[in-house]
Amino acid sequence: MLKYKYIFFFLAALISLFFNFFVFLKNRKSLINKAFAAFGFSSFLWLFSFAIAYKADNPTIKLQWFNFGYYGIIFMPASFYFFTSVLIGIKRDKILKVFNWTIALIFLIIHVFKKSLILDLYYYDWWGFFPNTRHLIHVLFLIYLVLLFWISMALMAVYLFKMRHESGSTKFQRVKYVLAGTLVGSTSILDFLPSYGINFPPIGFLCMTAYPLVFSYAILKYRLMDVSIAITRTGIFIAVYSLVLGTPFAIAFGWREKLIELMGQNWWTVPLISSTALATAGPFLYLFLQKKTEDRLLRDQRRYQSTLRQASAGMSRIKDLKRLLNLIVYILSRAINLNHCLIYLYDENKREYVLEATRGKEREEQNSFIAENSPFIKYLDKAGVPIVYEEIKQKMHDFSDKKLKEVELKLRELEAEVVVPIATDKSLIAFGILGKKKSKEMYTPDDLAVFAILGNQVALAIENAQFYEESKKTQAQLFQAEKMATIGTMADGLSHQINNRLHALGFIAGDALDSIKLKSKEAEIAPEGIRDLLRDIMGALLKIQDNVRQGGEIVQGLLRYTRKGEEGFGPVDFDKLVDASVEMAQFKIKKDQLSIVKDYLKDIPKIYGNFTQLQEVFFNIIDNSYDAVQQRKAEVDDSNYKGKIKVSTRQTDGFLEINVLDNGIGVKDEDQIKLFTPFFTTKLSSKKGTGLGLYVMRKIVEENHHGRVFMSSEYMVGTLTVIKVPIVKK
Amino acid sequence: MPKLLIVDDESDVREFAKNFFQKRKIDVLTASGGKEALSILEKETPDLMLLDVRMGELSGVDTLRTLRKQGNQVKIIMVTGVEDPEVISEVESLGVTGYVHKPLALDELEQIVMKELGRKE
Repeated sequence: MLKYKYIFFFLAALISLFFNFFVFLKNRKSLINKAFAAFGFSSFLWLFSFAIAYKADNPTIKLQWFNFGYYGIIFMPASFYFFTSVLIGIKRDKILKVFNWTIALIFLIIHVFKKSLILDLYYYDWWGFFPNTRHLIHVLFLIYLVLLFWISMALMAVYLFKMRHESGSTKFQRVKYVLAGTLVGSTSILDFLPSYGINFPPIGFLCMTAYPLVFSYAILKYRLMDVSIAITRTGIFIAVYSLVLGTPFAIAFGWREKLIELMGQNWWTVPLISSTALATAGPFLYLFLQKKTEDRLLRDQRRYQSTLRQASAGMSRIKDLKRLLNLIVYILSRAINLNHCLIYLYDENKREYVLEATRGKEREEQNSFIAENSPFIKYLDKAGVPIVYEEIKQKMHDFSDKKLKEVELKLRELEAEVVVPIATDKSLIAFGILGKKKSKEMYTPDDLAVFAILGNQVALAIENAQFYEESKKTQAQLFQAEKMATIGTMADGLSHQINNRLHALGFIAGDALDSIKLKSKEAEIAPEGIRDLLRDIMGALLKIQDNVRQGGEIVQGLLRYTRKGEEGFGPVDFDKLVDASVEMAQFKIKKDQLSIVKDYLKDIPKIYGNFTQLQEVFFNIIDNSYDAVQQRKAEVDDSNYKGKIKVSTRQTDGFLEINVLDNGIGVKDEDQIKLFTPFFTTKLSSKKGTGLGLYVMRKIVEENHHGRVFMSSEYMVGTLTVIKVPIVKK
Repeated sequence: MPKLLIVDDESDVREFAKNFFQKRKIDVLTASGGKEALSILEKETPDLMLLDVRMGELSGVDTLRTLRKQGNQVKIIMVTGVEDPEVISEVESLGVTGYVHKPLALDELEQIVMKELGRKE
C-alpha cells in the first residue's frame, strides 16, 4: 500500500485546509483567528505539495512539488510564533516579529532564486523519493525553525507556569491545549531526517493531522477561537464522504486487476454498486454519527437544556414577580450547575436595572443596580442576544473600542460569563447574569440558543406577573376612588345633619346661658357654692357655643368642597388664576428649572367659573408640563435644554381659549388616545401620577364649566393643552 | 305681644328657640315642617317667621313659594345650611326679609329678630 501513501498526506492537507478556513471564516476580524489561519495555510501548502510530489511518477515533477511545498514550510515558524504571541498576548515583541518575517523572506528569496533549500532527491527502497537537503543553508533554516518553535512553546510553558493559580480561566485552558497540540505536532520534525540521508520513514506529518484534532477538542470544550460544534459536524461530514467517495475509487484503482480476473469486462459494476450503496447510506451514516458524537460530547448540556425548556413553559403561570425571579435563578443555577446567577429587573422610576434575585453571589452595594444609560446596558440592548464575556474580551482586544472596554469591565465586575437579555418587543425589561459553570466547561452556541429562547419566555412571564401586580394595584385604586366618590355624595347629607345638630346644640347652650343670665339677680344672693357652680356652667356653655361655631365652619368648608352645581361660580380673573396655580405648584417646581411665559394682555375678559376648580385645572397642566420637562431632561442629557411653558389666550365667540404649550417630553402616539382615561399614566416620577389628573381636569372643564379641553402632543417635542371656558356675559 | 313663628324639623331647635324668645315676651308658635306652617298660617298672622330651608316634608323654599302664591306677605327670615347662590337668588326674588346661616348663636338671632319685630312697633 506504500504506493498510496500520498493519500495520507492529502488527507492531512485537507484537514489542515478545512480547519484553517473554518477558523478564519468564523471571525475574519479576530486577530487570533487570522494568525492561526496564516499558520494553517503554510501547513496546508506543505502537506498538499508533498502529497502531489508522492503521487507523481516523474522525479522532475516530484522535485518541483517538493520545492513548492517549501514555500509553506518556510513560513511555518514565523506564523506559528505570531499565533503564539497573539494567543498569550505578548506585547512589545514587534521587533522580533518583524525579524522573524524578514528571515522567512530571506529564505524565500534564496529558495526561489537559487532553489538551494533542496539539492536533489534521495531514493529509499521502501519509501520512495525524498528531498535531499544536506547543505548549510538548510541547516540554518532548520535551526531557525527549531528555535522559533522552541521559543513559542517555552513562552506558552512560562505562561502556564505563571498563571497556574488561575488554571480555571479560559485563556489558561486554551494555551494548555495549544501547547499540547504543538507538542504532538512538533514530532513532524522527524520528517527532516530522511532529508539528511537518514533512513527513517517520514511519518511525522501524521502527527500534524493530530494537531487539529487536539484543537477541535479545545474548541468544543473551551470555545477556542470562537468556533463551535459545527466543526465536529463538518469533520464527520468529511470522514463520511471520503469513505463514500474514496472506497469506490480505492476499489477501482487498487483491485482493478483482481476484479477483471474475477468478473471480466463487467469489473466496473463493483465500484459502481459500492458507490451507489455508500452514497445512499452516507446521509444516514452521517446523521447517526453526528447524533452519537454530539450526544456524547454534549450529554450534560442536553440534559439541562431540556430542563430549562420545560421550566420556561411553566413560568408564565407564576404571578408573584419576586417568586418568579427567585425561581428562575434557582433553576438556572441548579440545572447548569453554575457558580452564581443573578437577575436584574428594570425599575421605571429609578431608571436603572435593579438586582432582584441572586444565587451564589452576595448582594453588594456596587452590584445592586446598573444605570439604564451605561454602555453595558446599551450594548446588551443593541445585541438582543445572549452575550459572552470571552467574545467581548476578544473583540475589545481586536478593536480596542472604548465602550467595549467598559462593557468588559462591567462583566468582569459581575463575574459574568454570559448575559442573557430578557426583552419584550419594545424594551429590555430585565437580564440574567450567568457565572462560570462549576465544571469549568465553556458555554456552547447551543447553550446560547437555549438561553435566547429562555430569555423570551422569561420576558413573557415577567410581563405577565407585572401586569397582574399592576392590575391588582389599579383595582385597589379604583376601589379607593369609588370609596371617595361615595363619601363625596354622603358628605353632602352628612354635613347637613351635623350642621343641624350643631345648630340645635348652639340653641340649647344659648338658651341655657340666657336663662342663667336672666336669673342673675337671684344668683347674687345665692350661697357662694351655687354662685361658683353657675359661673362654671356659664363658662362651659360659652365654650360649647365656641365649639359650635368652629364646627360650623368646618362643615361649611366640607360642603363647599363637595358641592356640585353653580356654587362658587362667578367672574374669575385669568391672570390671578394663573398666578394662584403657579403658587400652588410652587412646593414642587423650582423656578430656575422651568420658565413660565405669559403671553396675554392684562385686560382680557373675565372667565365665568369656579376659581378653586379652575385653579386645580391649571395646577394640573403646570404640574404635567413640569414632569414632562423633567423627563425630557433625563432622557436627552442636553445642557442647553431649558424647560419652558408658554401661556397665551385668544377670544372666540363667548369663550376664552387658553393655550398652554410646553417643550417637555411629549406623549407617544400610541398613548395619546388614552390621555383622558382614568388611571392611565406615563409618568415616571417617584410619586407616580395617579392617572386621574387629566380625567378630573376634563370633568371640571367640560361638565362643570361647559367648556372644552383639547390636547395635542408630539413625542420629544412638547405638548399643547387648549382650554375653552366661557367669558362673563356683559 | 309680637308673634313669631319658628319652622324647623328639629324639635330641640324649636323647643329652645321658643323658650328663649318667650322669655323676651314674644308669643312663639312652632311648626315641625312646611305643611304644618301653612296650616298655622291659615289661622294665625305672625309678625315674623323663621323658616328653615332644608326640611324633610316640605322644604322652606317650597313653603315660601306657596305662601307668596297665596298672597301671604308675612315677613320671613330664611335659615340655611350653606350659602347656595341658586337658593339665595330664588328666595330673594320671592321676597324675604333676610337669611341666616346655621349654626347660629341665639344672641345673634335675637338681634335680627328684635330688629324686625321692633320695626313693626
